[in-house]
Amino acid sequence: MGAVLEMTCGIKSYVTVLAILCLAACGTLREDNPGTQVAGLAGQLITGQTGARAAVLVSQEEILSNPGKYMRVNIRDLDRWDTMVEAARNGSKVTWVDSENNSITLENGVIVATRGLPRDLMGADTAQVWAAIRAGGGNAQRTHDFLTDQDQISQQLLQCRIAQQGSDTVRRLGQTLDATRFEEKCAGEGLQLTNIYWVNRSGLLLRSLQAISPDAGYLQIDVF
Amino acid sequence: MQRMILTQTSVFAILMGTVSSAQDIPTHYTLFGTPGLLEMPSAHTAPDGTLAGTLAYQDGLLRATTSFQLTPKLSLSARYSIVDLYEDPVTSIEEDAFERSFDVHYRLNDETRYLPSVAIGMRDLFTPARFGAEYIVASKSIGDRLTVTGGLGWGALGLRDGFDNPFPDLSDRPTFDDAESEGELASDFWFQGDVAAFGGFTYQINDQWGLVAEYASNDYPETPGRPALKADSPYNFGISYRPRPNVQLSLASLYGSELALSGTFSLNANERPSMSGFEKAPAPIKARSEAELSEPSWDREALPPEALRSATAALLEVEGLTLHGLEVTETTARIRYSNSRYRSHAQAMGRVARMMTQVLPASIDTFIIETQARGIPLSSVTLSRRDLEQLENRAGAAATLLDRATFTDANERPPLQDSPNDDTRFAWGLGPYFTINPFVGDGGIAVDVGLSLSARYAITPQLVVSGAVTQSVLPPDKDDPSPNIDDVPNVRTDGGAYGDDGVPVLQRLTLSHFARPGPNLYSRVTVGYLERMFGGVSTELLWKPVRNRLGLGVELNYAVQRDSDMAFGFEEFDYDVVTGHVSAYYDLGNGYHTQLDVGRYLAGDWGATVSLDREYDNGIRIGAFVTQTDLSYDDFGDGSYNKGVRISIPQDFFTGSPNRSSYGTTIRTRVGDGGARLRVDGRLYGFVRDAHESDLTDTWGRFWR
Repeated sequence: MGAVLEMTCGIKSYVTVLAILCLAACGTLREDNPGTQVAGLAGQLITGQTGARAAVLVSQEEILSNPGKYMRVNIRDLDRWDTMVEAARNGSKVTWVDSENNSITLENGVIVATRGLPRDLMGADTAQVWAAIRAGGGNAQRTHDFLTDQDQISQQLLQCRIAQQGSDTVRRLGQTLDATRFEEKCAGEGLQLTNIYWVNRSGLLLRSLQAISPDAGYLQIDVF
Repeated sequence: MQRMILTQTSVFAILMGTVSSAQDIPTHYTLFGTPGLLEMPSAHTAPDGTLAGTLAYQDGLLRATTSFQLTPKLSLSARYSIVDLYEDPVTSIEEDAFERSFDVHYRLNDETRYLPSVAIGMRDLFTPARFGAEYIVASKSIGDRLTVTGGLGWGALGLRDGFDNPFPDLSDRPTFDDAESEGELASDFWFQGDVAAFGGFTYQINDQWGLVAEYASNDYPETPGRPALKADSPYNFGISYRPRPNVQLSLASLYGSELALSGTFSLNANERPSMSGFEKAPAPIKARSEAELSEPSWDREALPPEALRSATAALLEVEGLTLHGLEVTETTARIRYSNSRYRSHAQAMGRVARMMTQVLPASIDTFIIETQARGIPLSSVTLSRRDLEQLENRAGAAATLLDRATFTDANERPPLQDSPNDDTRFAWGLGPYFTINPFVGDGGIAVDVGLSLSARYAITPQLVVSGAVTQSVLPPDKDDPSPNIDDVPNVRTDGGAYGDDGVPVLQRLTLSHFARPGPNLYSRVTVGYLERMFGGVSTELLWKPVRNRLGLGVELNYAVQRDSDMAFGFEEFDYDVVTGHVSAYYDLGNGYHTQLDVGRYLAGDWGATVSLDREYDNGIRIGAFVTQTDLSYDDFGDGSYNKGVRISIPQDFFTGSPNRSSYGTTIRTRVGDGGARLRVDGRLYGFVRDAHESDLTDTWGRFWR
């Protein structure tokens, strides 16, 4: 098949037309097929499984024997687990990608961006959060960029309080790891959220539960 | 594998604060498809940006309405009705008459704790105004379930137990004379004649169920030209059911004797079901190391430009984008590509920039990105690679990058053009089509279903042969074109007789050429079978600077009417015409766009078309247009001037998948012969402005998406 050509499947195609429905098509000049897309969307609405799919199977041994190579993510709103691998590094920010080509960008383990979720975090300044965790608690300001329904960037300022909640254990893949638990409570105009972090003695954020947006929900991230 | 769900944290939720939105009473739609009670209006309006479609049926009357909340206070509606009308004498009834109506409703104030909101409105603004009515209405919410409404109506809303108009000069409402031309503003009727009171309430039982009751001030007297409906009693009752927030199904008892059913489906242009989109992640920026940043040049032997080009082409193809040219110097890369996937050219540009960082040598610090369509460059956007690296995933990245980007005319630089490769030279498609065309010449509806085979071949990127052949699956009706009964050629009224012989027909077959004849200039020449009814030559020249909100265009066509069998002949009608327009396009800002076309139309009539569109940044467009020409009212046909509204909704609004297609419809008065224009593919302004600064800025939030 050659290139898919742009054409409007609407009023432009047939000139004496009040409405046109393009139901199915084949060939390269088919323009994206709305019938299939609408059917697909309806299927998603019915099953509630927008993009849910079995995660990439990476063995427990593979993950544990390659520290830093893999990350596990639970997109809680989609009830979906996946294993992520590093895709790029830009300064202190690392972008991880999963088997469905969704990505999460972390800076010191704190999420600064996502791509592929229903309401992505387009970018964030969270440096004060990590500084507060390293200091054992404190206040921090976050700036979050979201993409609105009108394709504009909406910026949210969040005032956060990070508190140490004592020792805790992280159990995963047959391991039990000691960690210090931190809770971060944030509030901004019309938005409140709570994040939880488990940090080990060497300052590595082993596990976290971080909010993305009201539409995208929480991500649980396990770093190995 | 052991699951690692944090059950203890499931109590956390992200709270989005919206003040008392849960208590807002949902908008109740009337059988007229407008916010209100059942037949009576209320002062309430739908949320800003709401587009609602309503289908309402009762014996003798079917109404299909599209209603749009243009601003928080101003609502506009367009309606088709199929209605039985009393004839003269009233002992006979014209069944299933087609009527179209346009309504306007303006809410004067917001409701306060003690004060109701008040609105003024008019139904069926144009003659013959079978449903013509005007009103002033007040509504008040009491608690979060009950609304109470009371008002005064004129015209159709002033027929029951009315009292004299308080203004003696307006005491007599004239009767529409069927000999007069239709489709004119019915201003001679507005707020004239008797006034009557109406009122009612809505009560929302829960999120799904609601009740409505009203005292209706309209009546259906046995008068020629009026709807032949019964109205034994002024009391109407209804029940509404909302299976989803954007769906209202209603059952109503009307006037003591009739039952009515209606369904309203709404969407809000400000609330995209697909939120910020479901497309997958773009490639991350590949940042250069400190050492790489200081490299002054790159090794052309290790990285030959041709290899860079093929690597870039492959990466762009991953994004559904087509590379047309790449020029690299020691520090600059200029790329030209076309985007057939993303509605937002800004998003496509962002993905191109990301891919450029993957393969281009480190010494290249400036990206010049040129969007191309139909073989010609539309704009040139210069970005700093360092900015891309530093801003990626930071708050405020979009605004900062936009500030630092430079927008220029791509024509200022030397041509950058590859010949089309064999993969993209030829394309074809086969698919079904379905068309509905109301108000063809005889006032009926023409529906067609069939198969469409289309193909195009690019001789050069700018010179393209394209065509489409369709085969209807409906039985042929072999209508003959109607005899010409006036002095005006049947340039559109015979549309229903075209291509109905049951054999394959040639929709179009053209050779088109697009070019950039000079700075800020764009041109098009199209030759061949331009559209269903006409062939000939169409030429166009557009002046549109990349950073300017104003565009000026001129179009000149020579058109010959095709035979109604839609084969290759031009003999049947012996009609040809030189037609064309001078056009001005202006982006008014705040999402409003206007266009003025002045010139000669298909039937040889001279005049002008004005249009105004509300365009949301997410691609939803709702507009209205009106054409007035020098044809006499008698000759113009039904409707003294051509007017209508058009709606276009991008597919990605619903699906969230990147797509440049849209669903669209135009609701217009009957397609007459006056004010008609050629329907030629590839008019310049529509695709040129897409990649200019203003339109790129509109969706710049998607650059990083």
